[in-house]
Amino acid sequence: MVILAEDVRRRYGGTAALDGVSLAVNEGEVFALVGPNGAGKTTLVRALTGTTVVDGEVSVLGEAPDEVDPERVGLLPQEFDPAERLTARELVAYYAGLYETARDPDAVLADVGLEGADTRKPYEDLSGGQKRRTCVATALVNDPDVLFLDEPTTGIDPAGRRTLWSLLSDLADGGTTVLLTTHYMEEAETLADRVGLLADGQLVAVGAPGDLVASHGGDSRLELDIPADAEGAAATALEMAGYQLLPDETALAVTGIDPREIGAVVETLEDERIPYGAITWKQPDLEDVYLSLTGTEVTAGGEPVPRRRGRMSAQGGGS
Amino acid sequence: MGAVGRIGSETTAATKAFLRRRTAVFFTFFFPAIIILIFGALVQTQPTGGGLFTEPAGYYVPGYLAVVVLFTPLSRVGSEVARHREGNRFEKLATTPLSRAEWLLAQTLVNVGIIGAAAVLILVLVVLVTGAASSLVPSPLLLPFVALGVALFCGLGAVLGRVADSQDGVVAAANGIALPLLFLSETFVPPDLLPAWFAPLRYLSPLTYFARGIREATYRPPGQLASFTPNANVFEASGPLLELAVLAGLTVLFFLAGAYAIPTTD
Repeated sequence: MVILAEDVRRRYGGTAALDGVSLAVNEGEVFALVGPNGAGKTTLVRALTGTTVVDGEVSVLGEAPDEVDPERVGLLPQEFDPAERLTARELVAYYAGLYETARDPDAVLADVGLEGADTRKPYEDLSGGQKRRTCVATALVNDPDVLFLDEPTTGIDPAGRRTLWSLLSDLADGGTTVLLTTHYMEEAETLADRVGLLADGQLVAVGAPGDLVASHGGDSRLELDIPADAEGAAATALEMAGYQLLPDETALAVTGIDPREIGAVVETLEDERIPYGAITWKQPDLEDVYLSLTGTEVTAGGEPVPRRRGRMSAQGGGS
Repeated sequence: MGAVGRIGSETTAATKAFLRRRTAVFFTFFFPAIIILIFGALVQTQPTGGGLFTEPAGYYVPGYLAVVVLFTPLSRVGSEVARHREGNRFEKLATTPLSRAEWLLAQTLVNVGIIGAAAVLILVLVVLVTGAASSLVPSPLLLPFVALGVALFCGLGAVLGRVADSQDGVVAAANGIALPLLFLSETFVPPDLLPAWFAPLRYLSPLTYFARGIREATYRPPGQLASFTPNANVFEASGPLLELAVLAGLTVLFFLAGAYAIPTTD
């Protein structure tokens, strides 16, 4: 095991930031910690890099985090804000200068998608995405064996994210162990070999994204945008037609059907002259897994949102 | 590459980052210059004795130097520590080979360079504006006194940066500490103008040894200058060397305290 944590606990005042977290990450694996802001992701990264003191056992490359050879570790802290008056190249060169052996700063910047004049701009004049790429480059410059990235793609545009995902996959293929945190479910699902879902300081599930979705994601469903005053009638009509409705959704949703049956569902609504708007086919994903296990959704900004009760329940049922 | 390479990289980055803060650079040099112009050219020494400036102009050279040796490292290093904390830079540095002492040494070297340049400006202005040349002798001891003084207050600045919760807090704390030190450490106010009960307290200020040592090395009251030779000042007078040794010891303590104060965890 390259990264090992056993029964890790950390409290800030009366709040448990980490409450008995255990995990193990293998060499060359990409492991994503997923959860909303405040779930404990950053505290766990700090525990693994020795920048916070925790109860429990933690090791990286077989050593305690504060004893591991720093030449072998790369870190991008959350909300990292380096010296803003230096250019992107100067920043990466500065961090390169702290190691015995380091990669060429220009090559590292090119890897994260920054080249030419952009690398000579002061950090403070870069766009948000360019800044984050520069920060990622500072974590890669010593060509580490273990890479900790705390929300590496926050603020980066979708194309830039894919560039970084590709880069990190290549690094993992080359044997680098990557532990990253994210609140982008798509990122975890696309990039990670395994995912750990954190909620309120506890690791509620660990596994390959596909396995987690199969185990906890529920069935695929057809979400129907029905006006509120027609929702009861729609539910009745669909149930009369033999369709199974998901009872606790924020939109009317039919489950247990094949995508080829979408037309039949629509015909049922039209036969009953029930108005409808968007019709969306939804495959279960990590977001559903997280919702299913924690009762909490994660917004695009990483904020936790407790699951709302469904319209039908709020209206006293309609089916 | 080793420690020298790491310190070199940190020093280079810190120097560039500072020199590109043009306002900070300007005021680093403007502040002592305006103090000299106000105190040296406007207030001047009272010809009848008494008042703030009762001694010949050369007496106040340690005070003018203390303005930059004291204020600049305290506020610069303190603010730098606060900036590093706010930007999670120490969190990253804790996972690199750079040690806390190496980081502080690099910041100290940057400050020695900047304050060394400001000290040269101060000496030139003092001679030109206040006519202090008649009571001053050149001394190579100026260099170690300034370097050690800067290192000492860099250490104290790092402690302030750890204790204060923001850059604003650091500046307020630095001013709160520096202002009384500046006037109660045998810099601008001669000891005989202070109450007798206060006399022992001035030995608690590291700046006292800085001011005394520089004064003993460079200042000669009128009438003594003609018979004085620089070599005798440096190598034969035990006074400045003793003050230098005390300052060196205090510098080691303050530097270690500063390095220890630099956070490596949250």
